[in-house]
Amino acid sequence: MTRSTRRNLRNGLLFISPWLIGFLCLQVYPIFYSLQMSFTEYSGFGDMTNIGFQNYSNMFKDDLFWKSAYNTLYYTVLAVPIGVVVAIVLAIAMNQKVKEVPVYRAILYLPSILPVFALSLVWVVFLNPKFGLFNRLGSAIGLPTVDMLGDPAWTKFAIVLMAQLGAGGPALIFLAGLRGVPAEMLESAQIDGAGPVRRFFSITLPLITPVILYDIILGLAMGLQVFTQAYIITSGAIGGQGTAGPRNSLLFYVFYLYKTAFQYTQMGYASALAWVLFIVSVILALSVFKWAKSWVHYESE
Amino acid sequence: MKKIALFASAMMMLLAVATFAAPKPVLFWTNFTPPFSDYLQKMVDTYNASQTAVQVKMVQVPGSETDVSKLMTAVRGGTGPDVYMLDRFTTAERAAAGVLTDLTPFIKKADPDMASKYLPFAWAESSFRGKTWSLPFDTDTRGLYYRSDLLKAAGIDITALDVKNGPITVDKLKEIAFKYNKTDSSGAYTQVGFIPQFNQGWHYTWGFAYGGKFADLKAGKVTPTDPGVVAGFQFMYDWSKAMGPQKVNTFLSTYNPPNNPPQQDPFITGKVAIVVTGDWQIATMAQYAPDAKYGVTYIPIPKAGDKPSTWAGGWSWTIPKGAKQTASAFDFIKWMAGPDGQKMYTQLSSHLPTIKALAEDASLFPGQHAFFQQTLSFASSRPALPVGGLFWDALTAAQNDVTDNVALPADALAKVIDKVQPQLNKFLPLQ
Repeated sequence: MTRSTRRNLRNGLLFISPWLIGFLCLQVYPIFYSLQMSFTEYSGFGDMTNIGFQNYSNMFKDDLFWKSAYNTLYYTVLAVPIGVVVAIVLAIAMNQKVKEVPVYRAILYLPSILPVFALSLVWVVFLNPKFGLFNRLGSAIGLPTVDMLGDPAWTKFAIVLMAQLGAGGPALIFLAGLRGVPAEMLESAQIDGAGPVRRFFSITLPLITPVILYDIILGLAMGLQVFTQAYIITSGAIGGQGTAGPRNSLLFYVFYLYKTAFQYTQMGYASALAWVLFIVSVILALSVFKWAKSWVHYESE
Repeated sequence: MKKIALFASAMMMLLAVATFAAPKPVLFWTNFTPPFSDYLQKMVDTYNASQTAVQVKMVQVPGSETDVSKLMTAVRGGTGPDVYMLDRFTTAERAAAGVLTDLTPFIKKADPDMASKYLPFAWAESSFRGKTWSLPFDTDTRGLYYRSDLLKAAGIDITALDVKNGPITVDKLKEIAFKYNKTDSSGAYTQVGFIPQFNQGWHYTWGFAYGGKFADLKAGKVTPTDPGVVAGFQFMYDWSKAMGPQKVNTFLSTYNPPNNPPQQDPFITGKVAIVVTGDWQIATMAQYAPDAKYGVTYIPIPKAGDKPSTWAGGWSWTIPKGAKQTASAFDFIKWMAGPDGQKMYTQLSSHLPTIKALAEDASLFPGQHAFFQQTLSFASSRPALPVGGLFWDALTAAQNDVTDNVALPADALAKVIDKVQPQLNKFLPLQ
């Protein structure tokens, strides 16, 4: 290394030091601190007692761990694919060649900027079995009344539906992807006699697969960490409710982690839960990447 | 989570600005919401005006009976308050976790005789392993409220509900309540007489009603499979079965959705005619349904001749670890939990005092309030366990399975032991 590159390196590090220090103190250190905690019995105060892998082995006997893992996977498996489809449909709607398209884009994006907190409270009213718009519309076309937030079979689906109101964000990314599809390809396909559906599935869709992959990975990470909506809709699983939704059907993994850490003051066990989530997330993300090789099409290849 | 962190840091910044101005007030956090937080503010104002040495600043923070995340993180970060209110039955739990300051030395200095001035059960809830960690505040008991106006209008004979005739049996209650049930063309309930698990119809309520014992503190064991508790759960199971579990859930989702405002409570709107709830309902009714006619009686008894039951809860005052002004903070909580504070709170909130001298003052309990004061003589209380919150949640999950008729009482309650006992074992012996 010459003197000037060394100086450059030093200056460069100095310039990014605010981020670097923040990253080391506020991210790296807590990550390893929580790893250490996960091998202990710790209330958050006083001394940590080392108990080895006991927190991890206890998990297998904890039916709420399995319940929350099941709830979270159930949610993610539904929310991610539905989210991708809804976002693509929105993006296509935003991409229409009409004069008022900026207005439509704004309208379609608008629900995404609503705070989850406000949205959750609206959702409760929207899904009311008798007075809510959802069941009013349903009964108008002859569907039976569904108690979306009171029947454990439906609660998670209610949260999946709610998540679609946030599809505006991913839709913008898909929109950028759609704009990147070369017009000449679509035109030549049209000349060859391909209809709009054929053009979409044979040209547009393959060309935006990188964006789909990105959205799946992002959706997976967010889905596994779903928390806020359930926390608000169940009033924090306290007071009038006592459980996280009917029969703990909205006890998502991070929700359980939160309760374990702050309500039951088992920081050690909560840290172990967090590490299991981390490892499972990494494995899932890696498998998605591996699977993606068979269907993602990169233009540069 | 991110939102909470953001909110917490914003609050901390606000506090930093607020506390910059001298002299430093005693910082008091409560998770009470209106109307109860309004009552507290009035009391804090009265205390501040009563002397000049200590000034208290009340701040409302997020949290609940069993959720003290904000307190925990703030205390751990060295930015906690000087005073915090805890649901009294969780005192042992928080003391065991190490969040609280031991109040015993303060009490010794201020009034060595203090314990004898409080109701014994309340003082016991404030203690853990021979030390006192909180000062008892109010207490409350539960009873059966019934809308005499609505039941009479429906042509139902309600003499059995009259408190003068003693406690009503569950069978008689069922007879009355089912007459009030109504369904629409789709079969969904539009009004119901009584739902055991609604409002204060908790596991503890029915467990105690059937003579159950929830824990053996000497042996350090939780005992949810006690025959009395199982019988209480069986009562809920049978009632639910008779009404249709999912139909009851749909009814509650419709008329008592999450975050329902108090003025739309189904008992106030007349959708539910009979309910188990607490003494505070008197103040709520006066505020939100001043014209409604209602009566109050004992929680139903299993069979004629049984003794009536109820249970008492209530809050307490604590000084968290790391509080900066412990002496001033203690002076404040001594006043709030003392005769002046408790008298004021009793009158404002229609809760009950835990100070013996006040309990004997009949002028504090006008009208229906006197009934609740009198039930305190036979009230049970929740076992003061260092895993009280966990136990509560596990019991609630079991109750939920039972009222949904997806598990039999004995099976659901056996699971509670599996969940709670291993955690409790870490704190043994309890006494």
